[in-house]
Amino acid sequence: MKHVLLGAAAAMMLTTANFAYADTIKLEPGKETNMVLLPKFLGILVFDQANEGAQEAHKELGNPGKLEFTGPTPENSTAGQIEIMTTAGTQKQGAVMLSNNAGDQIVPAAEAAQAAGTKVVTWDSPIPGGKGESVFVAQVDFGSIGTVMADMALNILGGKGKMAVLSATPDASNQNAWIESMKTALAADPKYKDIELVDVVYGDDQAEVSYNRALALVDKYPDLGLIMSPTTVGIQASAKAMQDEGLCDKVKVSGLGLPSEMASYTMNGCAPEFALWDFRDLGYLTYFTSYGLATGQLKGEIGETFTAGRMGDYTIEADPGREGAKRILMGPFTVYNKDNVEAAAK
Amino acid sequence: MSRLFSWEGFLFACLIVIFTFNAVAAPDFLSISNQINLFQLSIEKIILALVMTFVIINAEIDLSVGSMMGLSACTFGYLHQMGMPAALVILICLCIGVAGGLFNGWFTARLGLPSLVVTLATLIGFRGLARVMLEDRGIGGFPDWFAALGQKGLIGPIPFALISFVVLFFVLYILLERSGFGRKTYVIGSNRDVADFAGIDTARHKIIIFTMSGAAAAFAGLLYAARVGAVRGDVASGFELDVITIVLLGGVSIFGGKGSLVGTLLSILIVLNLRNGMALLSITGHIQTGVIGLLLIASVVIPRTKLATPSFLKPEVTP
Repeated sequence: MKHVLLGAAAAMMLTTANFAYADTIKLEPGKETNMVLLPKFLGILVFDQANEGAQEAHKELGNPGKLEFTGPTPENSTAGQIEIMTTAGTQKQGAVMLSNNAGDQIVPAAEAAQAAGTKVVTWDSPIPGGKGESVFVAQVDFGSIGTVMADMALNILGGKGKMAVLSATPDASNQNAWIESMKTALAADPKYKDIELVDVVYGDDQAEVSYNRALALVDKYPDLGLIMSPTTVGIQASAKAMQDEGLCDKVKVSGLGLPSEMASYTMNGCAPEFALWDFRDLGYLTYFTSYGLATGQLKGEIGETFTAGRMGDYTIEADPGREGAKRILMGPFTVYNKDNVEAAAK
Repeated sequence: MSRLFSWEGFLFACLIVIFTFNAVAAPDFLSISNQINLFQLSIEKIILALVMTFVIINAEIDLSVGSMMGLSACTFGYLHQMGMPAALVILICLCIGVAGGLFNGWFTARLGLPSLVVTLATLIGFRGLARVMLEDRGIGGFPDWFAALGQKGLIGPIPFALISFVVLFFVLYILLERSGFGRKTYVIGSNRDVADFAGIDTARHKIIIFTMSGAAAAFAGLLYAARVGAVRGDVASGFELDVITIVLLGGVSIFGGKGSLVGTLLSILIVLNLRNGMALLSITGHIQTGVIGLLLIASVVIPRTKLATPSFLKPEVTP
């Protein structure tokens, strides 16, 4: 009976999301496990930054195993991710850290890897259905991204105007979730009522495609006031397109961008405001999570709290956006403008 | 003996080298599950390569196979989501493959348009249809038996798709190397005019081969859907180039009339072993693509370098 009561008490603690008294797990360094950091594809700066963060954590934890940073080529992203995931199971890797670009097509490969003892931790972009995934390290709360983007639109457009979204690939689950959450935010509060979302287009996260899509948007909607691009490739390409065509007075650009890539556009007024989180931190936290799971120090259960080095304590929780899936929420957001972008770009 | 000093002999030597290297360098390479994965990861492409060998020996090309795979996979997802029974949908998808192949064949053989143009058009057209159907959605949730067919072993650990590949290889081998149909394929590929004068219905023959290619692509699309358990509009986009690469590397002449299924098979094994070995050694995608590209350049250049090449490196020349 005593056990039952204890169990009930523990369950209550978990469900009320009050973890103040739960034991915080300190990960023991120096355990050996090989891991793979698998981005959507190679050649994107933010993924390289995530790798830097993961390498930092790898050194800090003194893991004698190997940390590989490997990914497919852009035109082969889906098949390449499936191949690397399958191979990781064969190699008996401790964990694969995946920024998923294959939608649910990755599920059989991820489940096979899990069955072979390889943990699958997603970051940046999760597996939509949550199957085959141990836990998702979410950069920010997907719901709050919508509000941040809606607020930036409100500021830039001065409360009234037309906006279009330029996204990455149609099946990037993070992008779709953010666009949805922005639509929800726009509909929820009457202060956004004069902002009209006219279109969503896809630039495939390739600079040239995105550049052309941005120009096509301006042609299609002559009275467009803002291009909102929740991807670092799209926002930079859009800003460059508007700058090259001398349209920055009419059409502004905003979304999620890297300070180092966006500083000049912010200073010349093409992209007055944009937001992002730190991808180095995301890689760092993802590594700690994966290391914990791969070495058996974390079970991957809801309510577990652990210390992720310099970033402090994090807790595994239910993912509000995906039923049955688990996440670790990193947060928070930084909004960049003329005042802080140059400092962040260095 | 002549076989040993042929292009196939050279490919076989390459294969032994790559296979041995993999076995030594990557400890998990020889495990049964890896050997099966090695085929499974590219199973659709290698099935298409077998049929593409017929198309190219026949002096044609079919660029639409990747798009037909996508169309078939997307049709499966779309109709299944609408509530049609999976078995019926599979039949419909195969019929679409046959129809698409007939379309390619008809325009090429009867109207005399170049297959490069016709199948480029259907590459765009089939893909367009697939994208119209699914828009930007991904569809999953296929029946368990369908997913199991694509992902689990059917005979022991060997999955259905791999068994299909082996059976198809033997059937097509007999068809190409041991039947009148195969001899006609070579003759038409060498010189269509001569074949016409000899009384062969060359147009009919070409239509049959394009139809085989369309049906195989639709079948491959279904295998893909079963293997990955979800589909979207860009399924298998760009696969046609990998398929053609494998066939050309196997020594099949792009001008038709020359080549063999054994060459294609050896080329398949080389490409798969090379990719698998590099993947096990965690070599990134860019380098993998680069290595395969170099290999293809070599396969084009080496047999045509008259002076510097020892005779055994030259492909067999049919008199």
